[in-house]
Amino acid sequence: MTSVTIAPGSADISAAPRIAGSGRGRAWGYVARKAGLLLLTLWAAITLNFILPRLMPGSPADAALAKLAQNGPVSEGTKAAIEAQLGVPTGNILEQYVAYLHQVITLDFGVSYTFYPQSVSELVSTALPYTLVLVGVVTIIAFVLGTLLGVLAAWKRGTWLDTLPTLAGSFASAFPYFWTALLLLFFAGYVGRLFPTSGAYGPTASPQFTIGFLGDAIYHAALPALTILITSLGGWILGMRNTMISTIGDDYVTFAEANGLKPRTVALRYAARNAILPNLTSFGLALGGVVGGSILVERVFGYPGIGYLLFNAVTNQDYPLMQALFLMITVSVLIANFLVDILYGVLDPRTRR
Amino acid sequence: MTTLLEITDLSVDYGEGAGSTHAVNHVSFALEHGEFVGLVGESGSGKSTLGFAVTGLSKPPAHVVGGSILLDGIDIASLSQGDLREQRHGGVAMVLQSGMNALNPVRSIRNHFVDIFRAHGHIDRADWSSRAEELAAKVELPSSVLDRYPGELSGGMRQRVSIALALSLEPKLMVFDEPTTALDVLVQHAVMDTIIELQKKENFTALLISHDLGIVLESAERVLVMHEGEIVEDAPSRQILENPRDDYTRMLLSHYADPRAEVVELPGFEARTPTVSSRTRRQDQKAIVVDHVSKVYPAPRRGEPQVTAVDDVSFTLEPGQSLALVGASGSGKSTLAKLITAVEKPSAGSVRFGDLDVGALRRGQFRQLHRDVQMVFQDPYAALNPLHTVEYTLTRPVVNFTGLKGLDARRRVLELLDTVGLSPVEEFAAKLPHQLSGGQRQRVVIARALASNPQVIIADEPVSMLDVSLRAGVLALLEDLREQWGVSLLYITHDLLSARVVTDNIMVLNGGRVVERGNTAEVLRNPSDEYTIRLLDAIPNPGRRDVA
Repeated sequence: MTSVTIAPGSADISAAPRIAGSGRGRAWGYVARKAGLLLLTLWAAITLNFILPRLMPGSPADAALAKLAQNGPVSEGTKAAIEAQLGVPTGNILEQYVAYLHQVITLDFGVSYTFYPQSVSELVSTALPYTLVLVGVVTIIAFVLGTLLGVLAAWKRGTWLDTLPTLAGSFASAFPYFWTALLLLFFAGYVGRLFPTSGAYGPTASPQFTIGFLGDAIYHAALPALTILITSLGGWILGMRNTMISTIGDDYVTFAEANGLKPRTVALRYAARNAILPNLTSFGLALGGVVGGSILVERVFGYPGIGYLLFNAVTNQDYPLMQALFLMITVSVLIANFLVDILYGVLDPRTRR
Repeated sequence: MTTLLEITDLSVDYGEGAGSTHAVNHVSFALEHGEFVGLVGESGSGKSTLGFAVTGLSKPPAHVVGGSILLDGIDIASLSQGDLREQRHGGVAMVLQSGMNALNPVRSIRNHFVDIFRAHGHIDRADWSSRAEELAAKVELPSSVLDRYPGELSGGMRQRVSIALALSLEPKLMVFDEPTTALDVLVQHAVMDTIIELQKKENFTALLISHDLGIVLESAERVLVMHEGEIVEDAPSRQILENPRDDYTRMLLSHYADPRAEVVELPGFEARTPTVSSRTRRQDQKAIVVDHVSKVYPAPRRGEPQVTAVDDVSFTLEPGQSLALVGASGSGKSTLAKLITAVEKPSAGSVRFGDLDVGALRRGQFRQLHRDVQMVFQDPYAALNPLHTVEYTLTRPVVNFTGLKGLDARRRVLELLDTVGLSPVEEFAAKLPHQLSGGQRQRVVIARALASNPQVIIADEPVSMLDVSLRAGVLALLEDLREQWGVSLLYITHDLLSARVVTDNIMVLNGGRVVERGNTAEVLRNPSDEYTIRLLDAIPNPGRRDVA
């Protein structure tokens, strides 16, 4: 699947054993390789999601019937009806697998038990935008802001630009999520009455794309967003600061200084540019986790995102909802990793081989 | 000639107050325009600290505490950061020790040049490309390297790029800090040639900092010898070579000799009498027989040929014998060591130790081999776990291989330390690696190898990371082990001089093949293969500059 093109001129460098090919062919080869890997892992994840529940003893229908049986005998008709409703699998394992794949591709995950008769896809598609916007945007802001502060802290090591953000960052990230959430809820929400204390929009608004509704949604998202930002910013600052301090000690930074490059160029293009690479991996993991939502934060603020949905699904043993959510979380982690891999390829020529 | 650089009473300290150490201690010297001066000293002599002070690159904890560094009358030590940055065009440029890592791995070579042109604005934007190509050509690189990333270039090419970058600043003074130390012997020779030629053509003043008196003597007109923060001798190269005044200079010189000479003597080494070699006092000692061995590695990437590291090599290491395996990097000498110690399996042929088929050993059977065949590694800094005391490091193999326990094991550990000359033994047993010098660490590594009372020691470049003055001691220890305990020695090196003093027989490897073999003294005195001759020619020759 890879095609290696040898760039013109490479032949006359006789003493360079490591030169393979370069240019566009190699770049597309890299993307194709990573995409192939993504498809393979996606298939494995989807298949595991099919196999694992079938290895467990009992079924959701059994559980539902057992519940009914406590109130008296269950008739054959009721049993058949429940089994049909919950979709007890029929046919051999291969037929089931094909049917399952079809369901996955058409995003048909059945009906939720908890929010009966709403379909799982409907529930997920309502909750997803809230989580994506809240957790996604905040995660990106935290990464960008934390990385910039980390660069500044490392470059101005020992000054107040270093000590203030690192101290404040480690202090804030030492609090558990829910504790910060409760503090904000109490002071900014209850005592100060600056922000609403729960929900994604006001009781009079209804979800639509109008300036008024968006403003209301942002207003409601403020406290949960602040909670996530405060608790995750410190990690990004410290991570970037530490890798940056180690690259500042590298020879290419000293050599860049010896060549009289402008301090800004040395800090950004030489030190920070290399220091950010290891942090991208953490960023990929964080992005992948976005879709899972932030269970604690969404729970504390009663924010109707995926985390809140997942919490409800687990407490109510809502199997179809759980299965769909778990699959979605797995898939998004894989896709986030793929995107980070591609980003790595763009940022680091050493990975393009 | 007029004075370019004048250093007066310069002192550089590490740290402040009571805990500070004087790295450079009241040093004064001057460089004339167009001069090529060498600064030689061993590790810890302060030579690099001095080099960094001259280029205005001293970083905490190092700081200039006194004296002046005048470049064309301007004191570098008192310049502001901004002025210092601006004077780097047309001022002092530096080529770093590990030039391999001096390039930003995520920037193309062209962008390295562009960054410098942009910072100083001394080249018109329209001429950036042609100027970069011109500079590459000066260091004998094709213009196609400009579109490469550092990771795609070999070590020698990367160091050439560093030199071209420094040259792009049109400096008056170039400071070369160990510019060829990390490079392979043959490459080292070629890069030094380029530096010497460039200095003549471009007419900059050069300060070459090196631990290798040989390299300095062959390239510099004048040599400064540095020892414990002070310059102990400052004299023309010829005078240093023929009539050194200082004891330290004399000591350094005594460790140099021509491996081609009829009689080679180093401190602690008499000239060898080759007949002693094949005798051994040990009973049941086994030979290592390498029989038509090849090792082929799969292609590093798709579409490339596979790599034949070792190609049909046969030899026998007789009991009590000492055999040198020499070659440049990539010649397959370290792969052979891996095959003999069962780290790798041969692709073809066999390695036998007595009646043990080394290539067929499985994981659980390695102990049978490693009881008798032990390895001494190149880097004594990396070969010891920094968290463990010497005693712990040595107790492990003693317990594992000899079954001694408790007091008996401890007695054996102290005995080993005594054998390798680390006394008082009790004191050394309690030390951690960072409290030892490089030479002492390498002795601990050798003691560890001796813990199982092995029949064979394979030493892979055991002294290449050590200071010259420490090398002879470690080499003499290896020689002693062979004479006293009858340990056979396979000595892997690129350094022909050390091969000449510790071994009786030699094999020269090139591209995985044996190109020449025989008695060490005879091969080195009358080499017949062209590759052996090139290796011999690559040894710094103090007379070379005068001839050129």
